[in-house]
Amino acid sequence: MDYKLVMNTAVLAGELMLCSGAETYRVEDTMNHILRTAGTQTVEATVMMTGLVATLGGPDMEPITATKRVQERGTNLNCIMEVNDISRKYCSGGLTLEESYERLKKAGGKQHRTWIYNLATILAATGFAPLFGGGITEVGAAVLTGTVLALTHTIGKRLGINGFILDMLSSFAIALAAISLKQVIPSVNDNIIIMSSIMPLVPGVAITNAVRDTLQGDYISGGARILEAFLIAASVALGVGAGIALAGVFFRGGGLI
Amino acid sequence: MMLVFGVAGCFVAVAAFAVLLETPKKYMLHDGIVGAIGGFVYLFSVQCHVDAVLASFFSALAIALTSHIFARVFKAPVTIFLIAGILPTVPGAGMYRIVYYLIANDSAQCSYYLTQTLEIAGVISLAVFIMDTLFKVHLKKTVPKDTH
Repeated sequence: MDYKLVMNTAVLAGELMLCSGAETYRVEDTMNHILRTAGTQTVEATVMMTGLVATLGGPDMEPITATKRVQERGTNLNCIMEVNDISRKYCSGGLTLEESYERLKKAGGKQHRTWIYNLATILAATGFAPLFGGGITEVGAAVLTGTVLALTHTIGKRLGINGFILDMLSSFAIALAAISLKQVIPSVNDNIIIMSSIMPLVPGVAITNAVRDTLQGDYISGGARILEAFLIAASVALGVGAGIALAGVFFRGGGLI
Repeated sequence: MMLVFGVAGCFVAVAAFAVLLETPKKYMLHDGIVGAIGGFVYLFSVQCHVDAVLASFFSALAIALTSHIFARVFKAPVTIFLIAGILPTVPGAGMYRIVYYLIANDSAQCSYYLTQTLEIAGVISLAVFIMDTLFKVHLKKTVPKDTH
């Protein structure tokens, strides 16, 4: 048995899942399953939101330990499913170690083209307008602010702007666009448009994962995710607030102040 | 009429959000259905004059239940349905109102919405927790582990 390759496979699988926003217990579970196939006496995997540690050891071997720091985290459910699938096949004997390592290397990546993501952003921003009580006018207006959101997000990502700043800039642009729109079409309700347009930005994913991690007893990851959720919420709120305040300077009576 | 419009909106929005989360293509419509159910429960509760916090609780409960059932039926991790589906319940509107009243210098309204938003976030956690626990009990009795 090639212990080093088992370790590399487990660490790669763990890293991929952690980068894709999987819950901590799921990452630990997958890594433990892979490591146990080595058949050594001690198998340990510790995963925190920002990195992971794994150890293989036994009386007749030098222990092997590996650490991996994870810098960037997003959400990629497809990658989580792929890694889950590969590890399950490997543990049940359907794949050899080398095959699964090669397949893990290729896992992840994007499923769609950029314009589909932009279209999805616009649709997500638009779809929530009726939930907040908007009519046809608001839906039409939300398409426009959704386009603004998609544009700022695409440009910001290309420039490599930090995630929190990008959220702030996007929500700032949304608030400005919505209030400007109200100046053109006075019958539109700008509150509803802003609310539905910031929905793709709000930390729903972070809140859900924080709860599930905390309830599993992974307090460090759970706490870190709650902090993340709070930071995202604060940056979105700050952006919207700055947008409304600035609009108040330009359009007398249009903003709030 | 408003209800149908809102539910259709939720379906489109959640299915679109699923694209942003890189949900596997075959599960995108399922995500939309989970979101639509959540939106329906929320809007229906609000129409029946249920408080927004309680409406969010019912909605999150329905979403978590549907996600767990879908996960069992379609053999996929719960996360895939839960993360996208919970979006209509997340208090985006509350967050906006907090800032709005903060800038408008209306501290009474601001603290009212701050409390409400925190309550909704807590209630979502509670709903997810209840369903996770229920299904774990059920799981231990029938199936061996490794199917979360």
